[in-house]
Amino acid sequence: MGEKRFMKGNEAIAEAAVRGGCRFFAGYPITPQNEIPEYLSWRLPEVGGAYVQGESEVASINMVYGASAMGTRAMTSSSGPGISLKAEGISYLAAAMLPALIVNISRGGPGLGSIQPAQSDYLQATKALGHGGFHAMVFAPNSAQEAVDIVYDAWEYAERDRNPVLVLMDGCLGNIMEEVELPPMKELSDDDIPEWSLSRRNGRDYQGNITPIYTEPILEGINMMSGEMYKAWEEDDVKVEEFLMDDAEYVVVAYGIASRVSKEAILKLREEGFKIGMIRPITLFPFPKKNLHDLDYSRVKGIIDIEMTVPAQMRDDIALQVMERAPIYEYGRSGGMLLDDDGVYDAIKEIVTGGNDNG
Amino acid sequence: MKQSFVFSGSGGQGIMSAGITLAQTAIDMGKHATYLPEYGPEQRGGSAKCTVVISDEPIISPLPKCCDNLIVMNEQAYAKFFEDLKSGGVLLANASRVKEANDRDDVTAILAPVDDIALGLGNPRAANIVLLGVLIGATGVVSREAFVKSLEKKFKAKKPEVLAMNIQALDQGIALGKK
Repeated sequence: MGEKRFMKGNEAIAEAAVRGGCRFFAGYPITPQNEIPEYLSWRLPEVGGAYVQGESEVASINMVYGASAMGTRAMTSSSGPGISLKAEGISYLAAAMLPALIVNISRGGPGLGSIQPAQSDYLQATKALGHGGFHAMVFAPNSAQEAVDIVYDAWEYAERDRNPVLVLMDGCLGNIMEEVELPPMKELSDDDIPEWSLSRRNGRDYQGNITPIYTEPILEGINMMSGEMYKAWEEDDVKVEEFLMDDAEYVVVAYGIASRVSKEAILKLREEGFKIGMIRPITLFPFPKKNLHDLDYSRVKGIIDIEMTVPAQMRDDIALQVMERAPIYEYGRSGGMLLDDDGVYDAIKEIVTGGNDNG
Repeated sequence: MKQSFVFSGSGGQGIMSAGITLAQTAIDMGKHATYLPEYGPEQRGGSAKCTVVISDEPIISPLPKCCDNLIVMNEQAYAKFFEDLKSGGVLLANASRVKEANDRDDVTAILAPVDDIALGLGNPRAANIVLLGVLIGATGVVSREAFVKSLEKKFKAKKPEVLAMNIQALDQGIALGKK
Protein backbone atom coordinates (compact mmCIF):
# COMPACT_ATOMS: atom_id res chain seq x y z
CA MET A 1 0.00 0.00 0.00
CA GLY A 2 1.23 3.44 -0.88
CA GLU A 3 0.84 6.54 1.14
CA LYS A 4 -2.57 8.31 1.11
CA ARG A 5 -2.85 12.07 1.12
CA PHE A 6 -5.46 14.73 0.44
CA MET A 7 -3.73 16.87 -2.17
CA LYS A 8 -4.30 19.40 -4.90
CA GLY A 9 -3.83 17.97 -8.39
CA ASN A 10 -0.93 20.35 -8.95
CA GLU A 11 0.84 19.29 -5.75
CA ALA A 12 0.18 15.64 -6.51
CA ILE A 13 1.84 16.08 -9.91
CA ALA A 14 4.85 17.73 -8.27
CA GLU A 15 5.27 14.98 -5.66
CA ALA A 16 4.77 12.23 -8.25
CA ALA A 17 7.44 13.84 -10.44
CA VAL A 18 9.94 13.80 -7.57
CA ARG A 19 9.10 10.17 -6.81
CA GLY A 20 9.41 9.35 -10.51
CA GLY A 21 12.99 10.60 -10.47
CA CYS A 22 12.67 14.28 -11.43
CA ARG A 23 15.67 16.20 -10.12
CA PHE A 24 15.43 19.42 -12.10
CA PHE A 25 12.64 21.92 -12.61
CA ALA A 26 12.72 25.30 -14.30
CA GLY A 27 9.63 27.38 -14.88
CA TYR A 28 8.02 30.77 -14.74
CA PRO A 29 4.86 31.53 -12.71
CA ILE A 30 1.41 31.45 -14.28
CA THR A 31 -2.04 30.64 -12.89
CA PRO A 32 -3.51 27.99 -12.53
CA GLN A 33 -0.37 25.86 -12.17
CA ASN A 34 1.61 27.81 -9.56
CA GLU A 35 1.37 25.09 -6.91
CA ILE A 36 3.66 22.90 -9.05
CA PRO A 37 6.69 25.23 -8.95
CA GLU A 38 5.84 26.34 -5.41
CA TYR A 39 5.90 22.75 -4.19
CA LEU A 40 9.03 21.81 -6.11
CA SER A 41 10.87 24.90 -4.88
CA TRP A 42 11.18 23.27 -1.45
CA ARG A 43 10.74 19.62 -2.35
CA LEU A 44 13.48 19.25 -4.98
CA PRO A 45 16.27 20.57 -2.70
CA GLU A 46 15.17 17.99 -0.10
CA VAL A 47 16.07 15.16 -2.49
CA GLY A 48 19.25 16.71 -3.88
CA GLY A 49 17.53 18.16 -6.94
CA ALA A 50 17.56 21.69 -8.29
CA TYR A 51 14.71 24.16 -8.69
CA VAL A 52 15.08 27.28 -10.79
CA GLN A 53 12.53 30.02 -11.28
CA GLY A 54 13.72 31.21 -14.64
CA GLU A 55 13.63 34.81 -15.81
CA SER A 56 11.19 33.74 -18.52
CA GLU A 57 9.45 30.76 -20.08
CA VAL A 58 12.03 30.72 -22.89
CA ALA A 59 14.93 30.59 -20.45
CA SER A 60 13.18 27.89 -18.40
CA ILE A 61 12.55 25.47 -21.22
CA ASN A 62 16.15 25.87 -22.37
CA MET A 63 17.39 25.10 -18.86
CA VAL A 64 15.33 21.92 -19.06
CA TYR A 65 17.12 21.19 -22.35
CA GLY A 66 20.48 21.59 -20.60
CA ALA A 67 19.57 19.45 -17.60
CA SER A 68 18.13 16.74 -19.81
CA ALA A 69 21.28 16.69 -21.97
CA MET A 70 23.14 15.81 -18.79
CA GLY A 71 20.86 12.81 -18.27
CA THR A 72 18.90 14.38 -15.41
CA ARG A 73 15.16 13.79 -15.29
CA ALA A 74 13.94 17.33 -15.94
CA MET A 75 10.57 19.02 -16.22
CA THR A 76 8.77 22.29 -16.62
CA SER A 77 5.15 23.27 -16.14
CA SER A 78 3.04 26.16 -17.33
CA SER A 79 -0.39 27.07 -18.67
CA GLY A 80 -1.51 27.88 -22.23
CA PRO A 81 0.21 31.25 -22.82
CA GLY A 82 3.40 30.00 -21.17
CA ILE A 83 3.39 26.80 -23.21
CA SER A 84 3.18 28.95 -26.35
CA LEU A 85 6.31 30.78 -25.22
CA LYS A 86 8.03 27.45 -24.59
CA ALA A 87 7.05 26.08 -27.99
CA GLU A 88 10.41 26.83 -29.60
CA GLY A 89 12.30 25.11 -26.80
CA ILE A 90 10.01 22.07 -26.85
CA SER A 91 10.65 21.73 -30.59
CA TYR A 92 14.40 21.92 -29.90
CA LEU A 93 14.07 19.17 -27.26
CA ALA A 94 12.37 16.98 -29.84
CA ALA A 95 15.06 17.82 -32.41
CA ALA A 96 17.89 17.03 -30.01
CA MET A 97 16.07 13.83 -29.00
CA LEU A 98 15.94 14.81 -25.34
CA PRO A 99 13.43 13.44 -22.83
CA ALA A 100 11.54 15.87 -20.60
CA LEU A 101 8.20 16.22 -18.90
CA ILE A 102 6.13 19.25 -19.80
CA VAL A 103 2.93 19.90 -17.87
CA ASN A 104 0.20 22.20 -19.19
CA ILE A 105 -2.47 23.06 -16.60
CA SER A 106 -4.72 24.71 -19.13
CA ARG A 107 -6.96 27.77 -18.91
CA GLY A 108 -9.25 29.80 -21.13
CA GLY A 109 -7.89 31.19 -24.38
CA PRO A 110 -6.85 32.41 -26.88
CA GLY A 111 -4.26 35.03 -25.98
CA LEU A 112 -4.03 35.86 -22.30
CA GLY A 113 -7.47 34.27 -22.09
CA SER A 114 -8.72 33.66 -18.58
CA ILE A 115 -7.01 32.35 -15.47
CA GLN A 116 -10.03 30.08 -15.00
CA PRO A 117 -9.93 26.46 -16.18
CA ALA A 118 -10.61 25.38 -19.78
CA GLN A 119 -9.66 22.55 -22.13
CA SER A 120 -8.67 24.91 -24.90
CA ASP A 121 -5.20 23.55 -25.69
CA TYR A 122 -6.09 20.17 -27.25
CA LEU A 123 -5.09 21.19 -30.75
CA GLN A 124 -1.83 22.78 -29.61
CA ALA A 125 -0.99 19.69 -27.55
CA THR A 126 -1.77 17.07 -30.15
CA LYS A 127 -1.07 18.74 -33.49
CA ALA A 128 1.67 21.32 -33.10
CA LEU A 129 3.34 21.72 -29.73
CA GLY A 130 5.97 23.66 -31.65
CA HIS A 131 7.17 24.14 -35.22
CA GLY A 132 8.67 21.47 -37.41
CA GLY A 133 6.13 18.67 -37.39
CA PHE A 134 7.07 16.71 -34.28
CA HIS A 135 4.78 15.10 -31.72
CA ALA A 136 5.03 14.36 -28.02
CA MET A 137 2.98 11.71 -26.27
CA VAL A 138 0.08 13.59 -24.68
CA PHE A 139 -1.51 12.23 -21.52
CA ALA A 140 -4.77 13.66 -20.18
CA PRO A 141 -5.50 12.33 -16.67
CA ASN A 142 -8.95 12.95 -15.16
CA SER A 143 -8.08 12.81 -11.47
CA ALA A 144 -5.24 13.62 -9.11
CA GLN A 145 -4.64 9.88 -8.74
CA GLU A 146 -4.38 9.26 -12.46
CA ALA A 147 -2.10 12.30 -12.78
CA VAL A 148 0.16 10.79 -10.12
CA ASP A 149 0.31 7.44 -11.89
CA ILE A 150 1.07 9.03 -15.27
CA VAL A 151 3.64 11.56 -14.06
CA TYR A 152 5.41 8.89 -12.00
CA ASP A 153 6.12 6.93 -15.19
CA ALA A 154 6.49 9.88 -17.57
CA TRP A 155 10.27 9.56 -17.86
CA GLU A 156 10.02 5.86 -18.64
CA TYR A 157 8.30 6.88 -21.88
CA ALA A 158 10.40 10.01 -22.40
CA GLU A 159 13.72 8.18 -21.97
CA ARG A 160 12.58 5.17 -23.98
CA ASP A 161 11.69 7.43 -26.89
CA ARG A 162 14.24 10.20 -26.25
CA ASN A 163 11.35 12.60 -26.76
CA PRO A 164 9.42 15.01 -24.53
CA VAL A 165 6.14 13.90 -22.90
CA LEU A 166 3.25 16.29 -22.32
CA VAL A 167 0.71 16.00 -19.52
CA LEU A 168 -2.36 18.11 -20.32
CA MET A 169 -4.73 18.80 -17.46
CA ASP A 170 -7.10 21.73 -17.01
CA GLY A 171 -6.92 24.22 -14.15
CA CYS A 172 -9.89 22.62 -12.47
CA LEU A 173 -8.16 19.27 -11.99
CA GLY A 174 -4.97 21.13 -11.08
CA ASN A 175 -6.73 22.89 -8.23
CA ILE A 176 -9.13 20.26 -6.93
CA MET A 177 -8.00 18.56 -3.75
CA GLU A 178 -8.77 14.86 -3.59
CA GLU A 179 -7.32 11.70 -2.15
CA VAL A 180 -4.24 10.27 -3.76
CA GLU A 181 -2.15 7.25 -3.03
CA LEU A 182 1.49 8.02 -3.63
CA PRO A 183 3.92 5.46 -5.02
CA PRO A 184 7.35 4.88 -3.44
CA MET A 185 10.38 6.93 -4.47
CA LYS A 186 12.16 5.48 -7.49
CA GLU A 187 15.72 4.94 -6.38
CA LEU A 188 17.82 5.87 -9.39
CA SER A 189 21.60 5.64 -9.37
CA ASP A 190 24.27 6.98 -11.70
CA ASP A 191 23.98 3.67 -13.56
CA ASP A 192 20.49 4.76 -14.64
CA ILE A 193 21.81 7.84 -16.42
CA PRO A 194 21.10 7.30 -20.12
CA GLU A 195 24.02 6.19 -22.29
CA TRP A 196 23.65 9.12 -24.68
CA SER A 197 23.88 11.79 -22.00
CA LEU A 198 26.79 14.21 -21.67
CA SER A 199 27.17 13.34 -18.00
CA ARG A 200 30.55 12.22 -16.74
CA ARG A 201 29.07 10.92 -13.52
CA ASN A 202 29.97 7.37 -12.60
CA GLY A 203 33.35 7.65 -14.32
CA ARG A 204 31.90 7.89 -17.81
CA ASP A 205 33.88 9.15 -20.72
CA TYR A 206 32.58 12.01 -22.75
CA GLN A 207 29.90 10.44 -24.89
CA GLY A 208 29.56 12.63 -27.92
CA ASN A 209 27.20 15.29 -28.99
CA ILE A 210 23.69 16.51 -28.29
CA THR A 211 22.50 18.87 -30.99
CA PRO A 212 19.32 20.12 -32.60
CA ILE A 213 21.25 20.91 -35.82
CA TYR A 214 21.73 18.32 -38.53
CA THR A 215 22.70 18.12 -42.19
CA GLU A 216 19.70 17.63 -44.48
CA PRO A 217 20.03 13.88 -45.10
CA ILE A 218 20.41 13.21 -41.40
CA LEU A 219 17.49 15.46 -40.55
CA GLU A 220 15.34 13.59 -43.04
CA GLY A 221 16.41 10.33 -41.41
CA ILE A 222 15.45 11.69 -38.01
CA ASN A 223 12.05 12.76 -39.35
CA MET A 224 11.53 9.24 -40.68
CA MET A 225 12.52 7.69 -37.37
CA SER A 226 10.03 9.96 -35.64
CA GLY A 227 7.32 8.81 -38.02
CA GLU A 228 8.07 5.19 -37.12
CA MET A 229 7.98 6.09 -33.44
CA TYR A 230 4.52 7.70 -33.74
CA LYS A 231 3.24 4.55 -35.49
CA ALA A 232 4.66 2.40 -32.70
CA TRP A 233 2.85 4.54 -30.13
CA GLU A 234 -0.45 3.78 -31.89
CA GLU A 235 0.28 0.07 -31.62
CA ASP A 236 1.63 -0.06 -28.09
CA ASP A 237 0.84 2.98 -26.02
CA VAL A 238 -2.80 4.00 -26.48
CA LYS A 239 -4.53 4.38 -23.14
CA VAL A 240 -8.30 4.62 -23.10
CA GLU A 241 -11.22 3.95 -20.76
CA GLU A 242 -14.45 2.49 -22.11
CA PHE A 243 -17.45 3.06 -19.84
CA LEU A 244 -20.78 1.23 -20.29
CA MET A 245 -20.03 0.65 -23.97
CA ASP A 246 -21.46 -2.89 -24.41
CA ASP A 247 -24.93 -1.77 -25.44
CA ALA A 248 -24.38 1.97 -25.96
CA GLU A 249 -26.50 3.65 -28.61
CA TYR A 250 -24.96 7.04 -27.95
CA VAL A 251 -21.25 7.39 -27.27
CA VAL A 252 -19.87 10.33 -25.34
CA VAL A 253 -16.24 11.11 -26.10
CA ALA A 254 -14.65 13.20 -23.37
CA TYR A 255 -11.28 13.49 -21.64
CA GLY A 256 -10.03 15.04 -18.40
CA ILE A 257 -12.53 16.97 -16.28
CA ALA A 258 -15.20 16.73 -19.01
CA SER A 259 -15.15 12.94 -18.69
CA ARG A 260 -15.95 13.07 -14.99
CA VAL A 261 -18.87 15.42 -15.39
CA SER A 262 -20.08 13.32 -18.34
CA LYS A 263 -19.84 10.07 -16.39
CA GLU A 264 -22.09 11.49 -13.66
CA ALA A 265 -24.64 12.52 -16.30
CA ILE A 266 -24.44 9.15 -18.08
CA LEU A 267 -25.16 7.26 -14.85
CA LYS A 268 -28.22 9.42 -14.23
CA LEU A 269 -29.46 8.99 -17.82
CA ARG A 270 -28.90 5.22 -17.65
CA GLU A 271 -31.30 5.14 -14.69
CA GLU A 272 -33.85 6.73 -17.02
CA GLY A 273 -33.24 3.98 -19.59
CA PHE A 274 -31.04 5.82 -22.08
CA LYS A 275 -28.29 3.57 -23.44
CA ILE A 276 -25.29 5.86 -23.28
CA GLY A 277 -21.63 4.96 -22.92
CA MET A 278 -18.35 6.80 -23.00
CA ILE A 279 -14.96 6.49 -24.63
CA ARG A 280 -12.38 8.43 -22.64
CA PRO A 281 -9.01 9.01 -24.29
CA ILE A 282 -6.31 8.95 -21.61
CA THR A 283 -3.65 9.43 -24.28
CA LEU A 284 -4.75 12.22 -26.61
CA PHE A 285 -1.73 11.44 -28.76
CA PRO A 286 -1.69 8.60 -29.69
CA PHE A 287 -5.47 9.01 -30.05
CA PRO A 288 -7.61 5.89 -29.42
CA LYS A 289 -8.58 5.61 -33.08
CA LYS A 290 -9.49 1.93 -33.03
CA ASN A 291 -12.04 2.31 -30.22
CA LEU A 292 -13.98 4.80 -32.30
CA HIS A 293 -13.33 3.18 -35.67
CA ASP A 294 -14.47 -0.30 -34.64
CA LEU A 295 -17.77 0.66 -33.01
CA ASP A 296 -20.84 -1.25 -34.13
CA TYR A 297 -22.43 1.50 -36.19
CA SER A 298 -25.56 -0.56 -36.77
CA ARG A 299 -26.22 0.09 -33.06
CA VAL A 300 -24.57 3.47 -32.43
CA LYS A 301 -26.92 6.31 -33.26
CA GLY A 302 -24.68 9.23 -32.41
CA ILE A 303 -21.36 10.42 -31.03
CA ILE A 304 -21.35 13.24 -28.48
CA ASP A 305 -18.10 15.19 -28.09
CA ILE A 306 -18.06 16.94 -24.71
CA GLU A 307 -15.24 19.34 -23.94
CA MET A 308 -14.69 22.35 -21.70
CA THR A 309 -13.96 24.49 -24.73
CA VAL A 310 -16.00 25.94 -27.58
CA PRO A 311 -15.91 24.92 -30.36
CA ALA A 312 -14.93 21.33 -29.60
CA GLN A 313 -11.33 20.64 -30.67
CA MET A 314 -11.31 16.82 -30.62
CA ARG A 315 -14.11 16.64 -33.19
CA ASP A 316 -11.90 16.20 -36.28
CA ASP A 317 -9.98 13.34 -34.67
CA ILE A 318 -13.30 11.68 -33.85
CA ALA A 319 -14.74 12.32 -37.34
CA LEU A 320 -11.77 10.65 -39.03
CA GLN A 321 -12.70 7.41 -37.27
CA VAL A 322 -16.49 7.68 -37.40
CA MET A 323 -16.36 8.26 -41.16
CA GLU A 324 -19.92 9.61 -41.38
CA ARG A 325 -21.39 6.37 -40.03
CA ALA A 326 -23.10 8.33 -37.22
CA PRO A 327 -23.78 12.01 -36.58
CA ILE A 328 -21.38 13.83 -34.28
CA TYR A 329 -22.83 16.28 -31.77
CA GLU A 330 -20.94 18.52 -29.42
CA TYR A 331 -21.47 20.35 -26.14
CA GLY A 332 -19.11 22.50 -24.17
CA ARG A 333 -18.48 25.49 -21.97
CA SER A 334 -15.57 27.77 -22.58
CA GLY A 335 -13.52 30.83 -21.68
CA GLY A 336 -13.19 29.78 -18.04
CA MET A 337 -16.89 28.97 -17.57
CA LEU A 338 -17.04 25.46 -16.12
CA LEU A 339 -18.99 22.43 -17.22
CA ASP A 340 -21.39 21.27 -14.51
CA ASP A 341 -23.45 18.16 -13.83
CA ASP A 342 -26.84 19.63 -14.75
CA GLY A 343 -25.60 21.34 -17.91
CA VAL A 344 -24.02 18.18 -19.29
CA TYR A 345 -27.01 16.05 -18.27
CA ASP A 346 -29.42 18.43 -20.05
CA ALA A 347 -27.23 18.63 -23.15
CA ILE A 348 -26.89 14.86 -23.55
CA LYS A 349 -30.58 14.32 -22.87
CA GLU A 350 -31.55 16.89 -25.47
CA ILE A 351 -29.36 15.14 -28.04
CA VAL A 352 -30.55 11.59 -27.33
CA THR A 353 -34.21 12.61 -27.30
CA GLY A 354 -33.79 14.28 -30.68
CA GLY A 355 -34.11 17.84 -29.48
CA ASN A 356 -30.74 18.82 -30.92
CA ASP A 357 -30.24 18.79 -34.69
CA ASN A 358 -26.72 20.20 -34.44
CA GLY A 359 -25.26 16.98 -35.91
CA MET B 1 -25.06 9.49 0.35
CA LYS B 2 -23.53 12.39 -1.57
CA GLN B 3 -23.68 15.96 -0.24
CA SER B 4 -22.37 19.13 -1.85
CA PHE B 5 -21.38 22.30 -0.02
CA VAL B 6 -20.66 25.73 -1.43
CA PHE B 7 -18.80 28.11 0.88
CA SER B 8 -18.61 31.73 -0.17
CA GLY B 9 -17.57 35.06 1.26
CA SER B 10 -14.72 37.46 0.79
CA GLY B 11 -11.01 36.69 0.83
CA GLY B 12 -9.75 36.67 4.42
CA GLN B 13 -12.94 35.26 5.97
CA GLY B 14 -11.52 31.76 6.09
CA ILE B 15 -13.75 30.37 3.35
CA MET B 16 -11.09 28.22 1.69
CA SER B 17 -9.74 27.03 5.01
CA ALA B 18 -13.26 26.04 6.12
CA GLY B 19 -13.78 24.01 2.95
CA ILE B 20 -10.45 22.20 3.18
CA THR B 21 -10.88 21.41 6.88
CA LEU B 22 -14.36 20.00 6.31
CA ALA B 23 -13.21 17.87 3.37
CA GLN B 24 -10.13 16.65 5.24
CA THR B 25 -12.26 15.71 8.26
CA ALA B 26 -14.64 13.73 6.07
CA ILE B 27 -11.69 11.83 4.58
CA ASP B 28 -10.28 11.14 8.03
CA MET B 29 -13.68 9.60 8.85
CA GLY B 30 -13.29 7.19 5.93
CA LYS B 31 -15.53 9.10 3.52
CA HIS B 32 -14.53 10.50 0.15
CA ALA B 33 -14.26 14.22 -0.55
CA THR B 34 -13.24 16.72 -3.20
CA TYR B 35 -12.49 20.40 -2.66
CA LEU B 36 -12.47 22.90 -5.51
CA PRO B 37 -11.37 26.48 -4.82
CA GLU B 38 -12.42 29.30 -7.14
CA TYR B 39 -10.97 32.73 -6.90
CA GLY B 40 -9.95 35.55 -9.14
CA PRO B 41 -6.59 37.29 -9.31
CA GLU B 42 -7.34 39.16 -6.07
CA GLN B 43 -6.71 37.71 -2.62
CA ARG B 44 -7.79 39.44 0.60
CA GLY B 45 -11.05 41.32 0.11
CA GLY B 46 -11.96 39.76 -3.23
CA SER B 47 -14.69 37.18 -3.58
CA ALA B 48 -13.89 33.66 -2.46
CA LYS B 49 -15.78 30.47 -3.20
CA CYS B 50 -15.11 26.81 -2.80
CA THR B 51 -17.12 23.69 -3.52
CA VAL B 52 -16.83 20.59 -1.34
CA VAL B 53 -18.39 17.25 -2.23
CA ILE B 54 -18.56 14.56 0.44
CA SER B 55 -19.74 11.03 -0.24
CA ASP B 56 -19.58 7.49 1.08
CA GLU B 57 -18.71 6.40 -2.48
CA PRO B 58 -15.77 7.60 -4.60
CA ILE B 59 -16.69 10.94 -6.18
CA ILE B 60 -17.17 10.98 -9.94
CA SER B 61 -17.90 14.61 -10.77
CA PRO B 62 -16.59 17.36 -8.52
CA LEU B 63 -18.65 19.99 -10.39
CA PRO B 64 -22.27 20.01 -9.20
CA LYS B 65 -24.37 22.82 -10.67
CA CYS B 66 -26.49 23.22 -7.56
CA CYS B 67 -25.52 22.50 -3.99
CA ASP B 68 -27.26 20.80 -1.06
CA ASN B 69 -25.75 23.24 1.43
CA LEU B 70 -24.93 26.89 0.85
CA ILE B 71 -22.77 28.63 3.43
CA VAL B 72 -22.39 32.38 2.96
CA MET B 73 -20.27 34.76 4.98
CA ASN B 74 -21.54 38.04 3.53
CA GLU B 75 -24.45 39.57 1.60
CA GLN B 76 -22.67 39.61 -1.76
CA ALA B 77 -22.08 35.86 -1.53
CA TYR B 78 -25.71 35.30 -0.59
CA ALA B 79 -26.99 37.37 -3.51
CA LYS B 80 -24.64 35.64 -5.94
CA PHE B 81 -25.33 32.04 -5.00
CA PHE B 82 -28.73 31.63 -3.31
CA GLU B 83 -30.32 30.51 -6.58
CA ASP B 84 -27.78 27.67 -6.79
CA LEU B 85 -29.12 26.07 -3.59
CA LYS B 86 -31.23 22.99 -4.25
CA SER B 87 -34.83 22.95 -3.15
CA GLY B 88 -34.91 21.30 0.28
CA GLY B 89 -31.31 22.33 0.91
CA VAL B 90 -29.72 24.10 3.85
CA LEU B 91 -28.78 27.77 3.78
CA LEU B 92 -26.36 28.82 6.47
CA ALA B 93 -25.73 32.55 6.58
CA ASN B 94 -23.46 34.68 8.73
CA ALA B 95 -26.15 36.81 10.39
CA SER B 96 -23.52 39.31 11.51
CA ARG B 97 -23.30 40.42 7.88
CA VAL B 98 -26.27 38.91 6.05
CA LYS B 99 -29.24 40.87 7.30
CA GLU B 100 -31.97 39.44 5.13
CA ALA B 101 -32.04 35.92 3.79
CA ASN B 102 -35.69 35.22 3.19
CA ASP B 103 -35.91 34.95 -0.60
CA ARG B 104 -36.56 31.21 -0.48
CA ASP B 105 -39.23 29.32 1.42
CA ASP B 106 -38.21 25.91 0.02
CA VAL B 107 -34.95 25.70 1.98
CA THR B 108 -33.98 25.48 5.64
CA ALA B 109 -32.39 28.81 6.49
CA ILE B 110 -30.07 29.09 9.47
CA LEU B 111 -28.91 32.54 10.41
CA ALA B 112 -26.05 32.50 12.88
CA PRO B 113 -24.11 35.59 13.99
CA VAL B 114 -20.75 33.85 13.68
CA ASP B 115 -18.66 37.05 13.51
CA ASP B 116 -20.18 38.28 16.76
CA ILE B 117 -19.67 34.92 18.46
CA ALA B 118 -16.02 34.80 17.35
CA LEU B 119 -15.53 38.37 18.51
CA GLY B 120 -17.03 37.40 21.87
CA LEU B 121 -14.37 34.69 22.12
CA GLY B 122 -11.72 37.32 21.50
CA ASN B 123 -10.73 36.11 18.06
CA PRO B 124 -12.66 37.30 15.00
CA ARG B 125 -10.57 34.95 12.86
CA ALA B 126 -12.37 31.97 14.40
CA ALA B 127 -15.65 32.97 12.72
CA ASN B 128 -15.19 30.23 10.11
CA ILE B 129 -14.82 27.60 12.85
CA VAL B 130 -18.03 28.83 14.54
CA LEU B 131 -19.64 28.58 11.12
CA LEU B 132 -18.47 24.98 10.63
CA GLY B 133 -19.71 24.23 14.14
CA VAL B 134 -23.20 25.45 13.20
CA LEU B 135 -23.06 23.35 10.02
CA ILE B 136 -21.95 20.26 11.95
CA GLY B 137 -24.61 20.83 14.63
CA ALA B 138 -27.36 21.28 12.07
CA THR B 139 -26.44 18.58 9.54
CA GLY B 140 -24.12 16.12 11.30
CA VAL B 141 -22.01 15.97 8.13
CA VAL B 142 -18.95 15.07 10.18
CA SER B 143 -18.60 14.19 13.86
CA ARG B 144 -17.42 16.66 16.49
CA GLU B 145 -14.74 14.18 17.53
CA ALA B 146 -13.27 13.95 14.02
CA PHE B 147 -13.41 17.71 13.57
CA VAL B 148 -11.59 18.31 16.86
CA LYS B 149 -8.84 15.98 15.58
CA SER B 150 -8.61 18.11 12.42
CA LEU B 151 -8.29 21.23 14.57
CA GLU B 152 -5.55 19.57 16.60
CA LYS B 153 -3.62 18.90 13.40
CA LYS B 154 -4.31 22.37 12.02
CA PHE B 155 -3.10 24.19 15.11
CA LYS B 156 -0.39 21.83 16.30
CA ALA B 157 2.34 24.40 15.65
CA LYS B 158 0.44 27.12 17.55
CA LYS B 159 0.13 27.75 21.29
CA PRO B 160 -2.34 25.41 23.09
CA GLU B 161 -4.63 28.39 23.85
CA VAL B 162 -5.27 28.77 20.12
CA LEU B 163 -6.55 25.22 19.85
CA ALA B 164 -8.64 25.58 23.03
CA MET B 165 -10.23 28.78 21.73
CA ASN B 166 -11.05 27.15 18.39
CA ILE B 167 -12.62 24.14 20.10
CA GLN B 168 -14.71 26.59 22.12
CA ALA B 169 -15.69 28.31 18.86
CA LEU B 170 -16.64 24.95 17.40
CA ASP B 171 -18.75 23.99 20.42
CA GLN B 172 -20.62 27.29 20.49
CA GLY B 173 -21.36 26.79 16.80
CA ILE B 174 -22.52 23.20 17.30
CA ALA B 175 -24.82 24.24 20.15
CA LEU B 176 -26.35 26.92 17.95
CA GLY B 177 -26.69 24.56 14.99
CA LYS B 178 -28.55 21.97 17.05
CA LYS B 179 -31.26 24.46 18.00
